[in-house]
Amino acid sequence: MIGRFVVPALFAALFAAPLWLMVVGSLRPAGLPPPRTFELFPPEPTLAAYARLPRLIPLFTYLANSALVVALAVPLTVLVASLTGFGLRLLTPAARRRVVFGLLVVLLVPVTGVWATRFELFRLAGVVDTYVPLLAPAALAGSPFLVLLYAWSFGGIPDTQLAAARLEGAGWLTVWRRVALPQVRPATMAVAVLAFTFHWSNFIDPLLYLHNGDRYTYPLGLQFLRLLNPTDWPLLMAGCVIATVPCAAVFLLAQRILLNDNPLTALRSGGRR
Amino acid sequence: MKTGRARRPLTAWAFLAPYAVAVVLLIAVPALLNVGYAFTDHTGLTRDPQFVGLANIRRLLSDGFLLDSLQASLFHVALAVPVRLLAAVGLGLLLAAPRPGGRLFRAAVYLPTVIPDVALAVLFLWVLNPMYGPLNQLLGLFGHPGYTWLADPTTARIGVVLMLAFPIGEGFIVVLAARRLLDGRLYEAAALEGCGPFGQLRRLTLPLLAPVLVLLAVRDTILTLQVNFVPAYVLTDGRPANATLYLPVYIFDQVFEFSGFAYGSLITIMLMAVTAVIIALQLLMVRRWRVLR
Repeated sequence: MIGRFVVPALFAALFAAPLWLMVVGSLRPAGLPPPRTFELFPPEPTLAAYARLPRLIPLFTYLANSALVVALAVPLTVLVASLTGFGLRLLTPAARRRVVFGLLVVLLVPVTGVWATRFELFRLAGVVDTYVPLLAPAALAGSPFLVLLYAWSFGGIPDTQLAAARLEGAGWLTVWRRVALPQVRPATMAVAVLAFTFHWSNFIDPLLYLHNGDRYTYPLGLQFLRLLNPTDWPLLMAGCVIATVPCAAVFLLAQRILLNDNPLTALRSGGRR
Repeated sequence: MKTGRARRPLTAWAFLAPYAVAVVLLIAVPALLNVGYAFTDHTGLTRDPQFVGLANIRRLLSDGFLLDSLQASLFHVALAVPVRLLAAVGLGLLLAAPRPGGRLFRAAVYLPTVIPDVALAVLFLWVLNPMYGPLNQLLGLFGHPGYTWLADPTTARIGVVLMLAFPIGEGFIVVLAARRLLDGRLYEAAALEGCGPFGQLRRLTLPLLAPVLVLLAVRDTILTLQVNFVPAYVLTDGRPANATLYLPVYIFDQVFEFSGFAYGSLITIMLMAVTAVIIALQLLMVRRWRVLR
């Protein structure tokens, strides 16, 4: 009983604590003296901080910019990851092993290793201060991890089915789109959610590439808010909650798959449950 | 049918092509360009870098800030990787078994991972606030006076590690999935032989998961060397006394703030070399202790 429920519950509470503190911090009335002792809940909770936010920063511009980047980047990530994953599925086992090894090497290349020179390439291409550089991670399928996720899911489709579709005269692109993709909907969902959280949260790329305040995405806006009001904690926590809510909401859609008792089976169980 | 089979590998490579092009353009070429730029005087503002030979290397050898930076990064890796790995593996194994509400526990553990890292950093500015931050108040409940977290070099570094101990979702999911792939019959056999839960962990689970754990350790070393940029940038901006001037922060300063593009490229190469050395040491340890059989 203790090992099965109490210990897991304690750890779950520990990991839920940051989000709890964030929400509680955002509900404190402004101007109230800071708490003297640890409080699990604020004395007079209010949503005032959320109402003040749009008056201090162009909140809706930032959110719209973030939404635009996500709307471009998530489909691109899904496209590249699924194409690459399907390519892996079609390889012979020996070739597949070599490509998977290559992917693991890519997984190990540090992002910081290409910060400066990638910036230089985008500068020479004249696309600094646009959203083009922010799509670079999407063109790389987010992370090799997502490619492997697709490759595993496509592995559940029998060879005979692909061959049958080919015999009916379907091209490989049609097979990918009509036969393979519909069978791995859970994987598509998982990849889309992970891509969403990555691009919604992306701070470093906008920091490097966006200079014009009108183009700022929300994470940059949050940093701007912090520089503007470094000690207005209810306001800052409200900003953090707004940054987190979309990610948390989208994650709830995918947890059924990613945190399943059998995540690898759940990925392959397209359509039928 | 024969021609179909011969064409199939080609088709597969065609599906892999877009990704391969992106890897070449966005990873391979920039990584190699570092080497070229390291021997120039490029500032990042002009278009005609001049070759300056070993001038940047001479500067590197007498750079006191770089030593601070290297020291900060090594301290961080030595503390953060074990903490994050222990949390991901420990919680992954603890929560892998199916149980009522199992997904709820797992979702709670994954939750900090979905918090955008700037938001998590701003939250930790509040949590680590020495005057009225929740952490010091929690310590106060136990009669401890608390720390001046971000104002003191050592506690500032620990504060950053503390923040990064929460977003461990990727490793956590990998461990969950890997644990489910292990054969249940092995555990039944072990139980019949009188092997208790800790014996099973030591003799079955950990040895069988060893390849995954090694991959996670290597991956986390690399992640840890870079993901400390956002917390350091938001929490401390490299201060106090360069205690959190981790290598990525220093590279960022050189390349994007001080117009030292070429010098930044050289430090980038050094960061990659440091990463390679640490990983080589880890793999040597793996071989020495025969973790992989």
